Amino acid sequence: MREKATTLYIGPQHPGITGNMMVRVKVEGDTIVKATTEVGYLHRAFEKLIEKRNWLQSFTLLCRFCVPEPDPVEESYARAVEEIEGREVPERAKYIRVMVLELARMASYMLWYGGQAGSLGLYTVGQWSVGDRNYILDLFEELTGGRVYHMYIWPGGVRRDMPEGFEEKVLKTMNYLEKRLDDYDDLMFENSIFQKRTKGIGIIDKAKAIEWGVVGPPLRGCGIKHDVRIDDPYEVYDKLDFIVPTHEGGDIWSRAQVRRQEIRQSIRIIRQVIDKMPGGEFYNKVPNPQKWTLPKGDAYARTEAVRGEVGMYVSSDGGTHPRRAHFRGAAYVHGITLLENLLVGENLADISAIMNSLGTCPPEIER
Amino acid sequence: MEEIKKAAIEKITTHFREVTAEQHNGNRVDFFIGKEEIPAILFYLKDEMGYNHLSHIACVDWLEEKEFEIVYIVWSYTDKIKIFVHTRVDRENPVMDNVDMIWRQANTYEREMKEMYGIEFTGLEAPEEFLLEDWEGPPPMRRDFDTEAYAREKYWERPGREDARDVRETIIERTGEELPDFAKKYKR
Amino acid sequence: MINDKNSQKIVDIIQNFARQHSIWVLAYGTGCGAIEIPPTMTSRYDAERLGVRGAATPRQADVLLITGYLTTKTLKRVIRVYEQMQDPKYVIGFGSCTINGGMYWDSYNTIKALDRYMPVDVYINGCMPRPESVLSGFAKLQELIQAGKADGAKKYKENLEWYRTNQKKVIPNWHMPEYNW
Repeated sequence: MREKATTLYIGPQHPGITGNMMVRVKVEGDTIVKATTEVGYLHRAFEKLIEKRNWLQSFTLLCRFCVPEPDPVEESYARAVEEIEGREVPERAKYIRVMVLELARMASYMLWYGGQAGSLGLYTVGQWSVGDRNYILDLFEELTGGRVYHMYIWPGGVRRDMPEGFEEKVLKTMNYLEKRLDDYDDLMFENSIFQKRTKGIGIIDKAKAIEWGVVGPPLRGCGIKHDVRIDDPYEVYDKLDFIVPTHEGGDIWSRAQVRRQEIRQSIRIIRQVIDKMPGGEFYNKVPNPQKWTLPKGDAYARTEAVRGEVGMYVSSDGGTHPRRAHFRGAAYVHGITLLENLLVGENLADISAIMNSLGTCPPEIER
Repeated sequence: MEEIKKAAIEKITTHFREVTAEQHNGNRVDFFIGKEEIPAILFYLKDEMGYNHLSHIACVDWLEEKEFEIVYIVWSYTDKIKIFVHTRVDRENPVMDNVDMIWRQANTYEREMKEMYGIEFTGLEAPEEFLLEDWEGPPPMRRDFDTEAYAREKYWERPGREDARDVRETIIERTGEELPDFAKKYKR
Repeated sequence: MINDKNSQKIVDIIQNFARQHSIWVLAYGTGCGAIEIPPTMTSRYDAERLGVRGAATPRQADVLLITGYLTTKTLKRVIRVYEQMQDPKYVIGFGSCTINGGMYWDSYNTIKALDRYMPVDVYINGCMPRPESVLSGFAKLQELIQAGKADGAKKYKENLEWYRTNQKKVIPNWHMPEYNW
């Protein structure tokens, strides 16, 4: 007998939804037959406000685009501005930027550990990983002055130099976290509930993945090795030695495996960066920001964040303010068209796990 | 890199008549084309040349020139080149061809452009609202829409922000607290 | 049952003591402030030792934590959520943007002062407030509850007309059920 179809509204107030958004699902029994996302609960009109701010003032807004990992957005914008103006970045600043980006990647992955495990009922993982994430935030606080929002990467370099003895602190934190990662694995990946509820669920079709615009860990979870850091290398990623992990399958489990290995690669990158860190200037000073004009032109800079490729299109009309800055987050594609596709045929209880595995970040969609 | 860029320019310019190409430093090539040719050039880029990743669609409002500029950015995982396709639409009567049958995710970009700039996409199938709800004003991302005036009129604002003064001065005034010496140095 | 003033006082003290130590926060991340809630709840800061923990649905929650700016679209949902909550209920405004708009002062889509639209018992300022300040905000709320001064819900009932006028000014399409709280 065919079940009668019912429409359910999941969100915006729902503990399993990753942020403030809504998924409207049509279910037969508990199988989803149609899913529609509704976003816009977090639309703050950032791109409009950036048009009213000058080139440097925009940075306070930029870091709020995606809250769990603000640095790739700043990085994309800073690189786009540098490309329009042709401004050089000192070598030391490039290394510091890579270090900050990788630290942000780790912090974001540790929040993901908590979210992904929590969506399946394993609350201890979150207690551990989100608690340990504070050690990375402490490093950020010492380096930039802020735990969550950094406004650290600027056009022409970074805002301030590393404090004295900072390298040792980073290495010490890395050593500690490396040990802790094995504990998380025991708790999360060895857990049979986690395995049963992730294997074979939320499968992305490998043949369609690129066409659908899948990027980042979900794409690498399909066994396709694409990463902006190696495809279109920025800063000093081409001088560093790291592996881009992939995993066959395309389900939640493979995406989790990719992230599990990637966080270890981040530790490896940070160690190399600290080892190779050159001396010298950290900031190629920009003129008075009130009078600083950029030549006419446009640029598009892409950065690999935890959710995948994030890009910033910046257009300048030769004035002191940006003409347009349009942001493309990975969730812009993952959270709407891909999610609507993936949810069909899945179980109602797996919505939360699938959303977490895609890294859906509503503020990035809505800005 | 340079050969690939040259080959891409040659392929596009021989296949499409009304197109101008522009070379940039790095792995970037720009094409400027009329808006009627957009679906054709995107189909060609995707199916014949392997530019199968739609990276971005951006819209810029050139109010002074009475035009919208729409930029499609595509990326090839094999050539490692990003191609910008620029086109211009009349600002008074903005109508564009829908391209979401080429890339499904273009649908999201088009919904946003429709809402934020008021550009009509022929045959776009999507819900009416995307980010805004019950919006009554003009499309908000258009440059002639003044967000500050709108916000001042619609929302009540707590007094105290008008003078934009240093918050420490307010504290001193209210509590009589003494400012430490080092802080005086940074006084505005 | 209890009629005289003095025994009512004793009951109030016991009630407030109990309420003060079981603050259940509704898990609704309305804005970017939601990012500092997981650290507050987990091992390092561990808000649960103060009796603060998450509740999944509005009917079981005591505190509505407004984590940051509210867009008009979210405000509509937040009012619905607030009206569904059962007494006693409290509201904490989290972040500078709930106080005076913060950095979104000229945005066309966010409200600038939360207490025009719903009663706020405690404000926590900063952008982003650190977990320590979140905890101190909760401690302040506990103090107010103990003293019987956290009466936002009462204020809302008494001045419903005024709040409704303000709410309807920013929410054009008002069709919401009346809750019998």
